[in-house]
Amino acid sequence: MRQALKKGGGTISLILSVIMLLGSWWLLALALKSPAVPPPLGAVKIFLASLRGDLVIHLGISLYRVLISLILAAALGVPLGIFLGKNPRIDAKISPMLYLTYPVPKVVFMPIFLILLGIGDISKIVLITLIIFYQILVTTRDAAKNLEKGYISSVQSLGAGSRDLYIHVFLPGCLPSILTSLRLGLGTAMAVLFLAETYATQKGIGFFIMDSLSRMNYEEMFAGIIAMGLMGFFLYVILDKMEKVLCGWVHL
Amino acid sequence: MQDYFLSIKSLKVAYEQRGELVTALDSVDLSLSQGQRGVIIGPSGCGKSTLITVLAGLNSHYTGQVLIGGKPPASGGETALILQDFGLLPWKTVWDNVILGLKLRKKTAAEIKTTAETVLEKLGLSSLAKRHPTQLSGGQRQRVAIARALVLAPKLLLMDEPFSSLDALTREELQDFLLELWEETKLTTLLITHNIEEAVLLGQKIFIMSSSPGQIQQEVENRLAGATHLRGELQFLEMCSTLRSFLRGRVHDEASA
Ligand SMILES: Nc1ncnc2c1ncn2[C@@H]1O[C@H](COP(=O)(O)OP(=O)(O)O)[C@@H](O)[C@H]1O
Ligand SMILES: [Mg+2]
Repeated sequence: MRQALKKGGGTISLILSVIMLLGSWWLLALALKSPAVPPPLGAVKIFLASLRGDLVIHLGISLYRVLISLILAAALGVPLGIFLGKNPRIDAKISPMLYLTYPVPKVVFMPIFLILLGIGDISKIVLITLIIFYQILVTTRDAAKNLEKGYISSVQSLGAGSRDLYIHVFLPGCLPSILTSLRLGLGTAMAVLFLAETYATQKGIGFFIMDSLSRMNYEEMFAGIIAMGLMGFFLYVILDKMEKVLCGWVHL
Repeated sequence: MQDYFLSIKSLKVAYEQRGELVTALDSVDLSLSQGQRGVIIGPSGCGKSTLITVLAGLNSHYTGQVLIGGKPPASGGETALILQDFGLLPWKTVWDNVILGLKLRKKTAAEIKTTAETVLEKLGLSSLAKRHPTQLSGGQRQRVAIARALVLAPKLLLMDEPFSSLDALTREELQDFLLELWEETKLTTLLITHNIEEAVLLGQKIFIMSSSPGQIQQEVENRLAGATHLRGELQFLEMCSTLRSFLRGRVHDEASA
């Protein structure tokens, strides 16, 4: 997708993708003839109509939860990842703990977060942050570890201290990997978001979808799914732009 | 006794490898007077880079005495380090790479600009300032690395196999360039190479190293240094073959031992 969007033909391939997607959906709806899979036209109409109603509010809240979680996870995972990558001795002590806790499905802690942090945004943000934090941490650490030693020693010889190395070598050198982990993390974040929003909340796109389902309003449900898809797409585009601006040197 | 600018006495460096201490350098003595150019030549793994790392102030885990201008080595001090590859940061432009050391020293913007412009101009790199290292040829890249070192006006230049990844012609071009630079700046330099001809062409003093543990096996005064017109001449080839036999001699000793 990144490559496709980059070139001038990006818009064309985007339109083609949308047509393909709607086309297959339409065929599927025709074949299944089930109310659970309404044809795309109705869903898109409802989607556009709901944009004037609650959907925008739900979307805004979900976007806020995902964005804050991504930012928090990066703000914690990147410095810590670089620190561990820079200091193999400390990493050797910490990584067993990391690998013990990494595979635990954090979603199981959701009830606990709900009890401890309440049913508001915080419990959801903490859950999403925790999950993508690991991905960012491990990716950044490995990137920092594998950075060419020559970059480090040559900049050190110019008089760089630890902080200078962070700013001039480790952060820019790891940035392509960090953005990749954010892109992967975004997919995870959306999935966890949906799950988190189906519990004990009246707000968010996940609630909107599950609420429509419980009312057997399938067209509205699909309007919610479209909204969620577009939100993810929008965030991917932002990450792509960031990659282009910040890591232009990779593609020279 | 002569007063040396760079003086190394009984230098020993050991690394920890899988819990064991491995001696990389042992009893190394080496000295260069002010403005002198030394070349180290020796097999891979004999500790050449280790020695340079100590001199650059990047490894303080050594025993023995190392003095540069009377002071122990320190990074960001008066030594400049140039590596074979990867020295330049690919995410910075030529300009940003060159000014990095000045920025780290908190020079004023005006000072940085004039210094960097002067050096880039002198090295014929002005037109490349906006490019990134990946957009340069190998030879241009090493010129930029030299520029980055020169803006800091170092007292000692350390070069670790600087021309090893260059093609033969570019390599000769840069050797000539370096000789001109030395002529002009009289910069004390220690250069590592594994190329015998390069050692003869560049080194006023040639140190031949042997491995396990890394030691200086032979020190050769070389009067042919800088004589580019003698490249390929008999005298030059004889010197090369002398060095080669020194390097080989060690191999024979080991075989017979
Ligand atoms: N950071 C390090 N940790 C452990 N061993 C090292 C390290 N750097 C070098 N060595 C070892 O020290 C010896 C000398 O290495 P080096 O100085 O790189 O040699 P050269 O530059 O002559 O090829 C080698 O045996 C190498 O394995
Ligand atoms: Mg080496």
